[in-house]
Amino acid sequence: MRKKTVLTAAALTAVAALTLSACGSGDDDSSKPVADVSTQPKTQAATVLDKPFEKPNLVLKDTKGKTYDFREETKGKPTLIYFGYTHCPDVCPLTMSNIAIARKALPKADQDKLQVVFVTTDPERDTSAELAKWLPSAGDPSFVGLTGDFATIQAGARQVGIGIEPATKEKDGTVVSMHGAQVIAFSPKTDGGYVLYGEDTTADDYAKDLPKLVKGETP
Amino acid sequence: MRRRGAPTAAAAALASLLSVVALAGCSSADAAEDTPQLKVTGAFMPQPVSDMASGFLTVTNSGGAADKLTSVTSDISDEVTIHETKDQKMRQVKSFDIPAGGELSLARGGSHLMFMGLKTKPEQGQRISVELHFEKTDPIKVDLPVKETTYNPTQH
Repeated sequence: MRKKTVLTAAALTAVAALTLSACGSGDDDSSKPVADVSTQPKTQAATVLDKPFEKPNLVLKDTKGKTYDFREETKGKPTLIYFGYTHCPDVCPLTMSNIAIARKALPKADQDKLQVVFVTTDPERDTSAELAKWLPSAGDPSFVGLTGDFATIQAGARQVGIGIEPATKEKDGTVVSMHGAQVIAFSPKTDGGYVLYGEDTTADDYAKDLPKLVKGETP
Repeated sequence: MRRRGAPTAAAAALASLLSVVALAGCSSADAAEDTPQLKVTGAFMPQPVSDMASGFLTVTNSGGAADKLTSVTSDISDEVTIHETKDQKMRQVKSFDIPAGGELSLARGGSHLMFMGLKTKPEQGQRISVELHFEKTDPIKVDLPVKETTYNPTQH
């Protein structure tokens, strides 16, 4: 008897759900996210800086646990840097994937020149081994993943205008972590960080700009 | 007689079902005055790159009362949580408001469903079944088609 009641309730629910989903089927446009309003159509993804950033002083560990000096390793090379974390299900893999797709569209020689550096904002969880596991899947095996002391990472991020705070644990045990707002491109000619890309930059946007960035030109 | 009883009961049940349909129907404009009326659209899951995945959808409330998305369950993960992202900071929340006559939009770069400890890795082309639980409305089952990792329908 009990089972039957449940079944009837389920049927009722199903019918109600059907009816609900039938409602307002004519106004599918209204189901578009409200956020659309704030995303103005952009002419281009890049923000070119009048006053480029100097390269940040980041001496950290790479995915093999070896010391990596960002200024030394990327000197004279076109470089993209992004601050994020691997426990990030949305924006971080999206950003890395977009860049990976765009990079593959470059001629092989240019692909080899381009340095893509991912710096973790959550070094406690993102060890070299974790980054080694995540980065090839989220982005590309050629990408450099860096981890180390949070204070060093935070100071380096600040030098290029990226504000990050350490991951914090809430009372209920959940972790609040954050990623940087922008990808910064450094010129192979001047080593200055001269172009910024926000998180809504698409793979197509990057694909359009990368050939210029590789040459140190303004997109 | 006994054999005739069953169909009659079934007919009665059917009739009551139909009347419920009519009551909940869109034609009666004032039926939804003090209840939420939810509809889920645009659901998808970008193909995950690790043992965690995100999910996105929009819940539209055409009713006259607010509701809340309180939890999400799925076969592929025992730990599905809801997160908001504000100023590049991701935070787990207990519920999301769905205002009367408004919507809850989970979109890339913002709030999302988060699936931890995936039991299987969803591949592009598959459909992931989830059940959304609300404060007032009965649970709604939704299929999330798995899209490419970079899929973002809100972009132009």
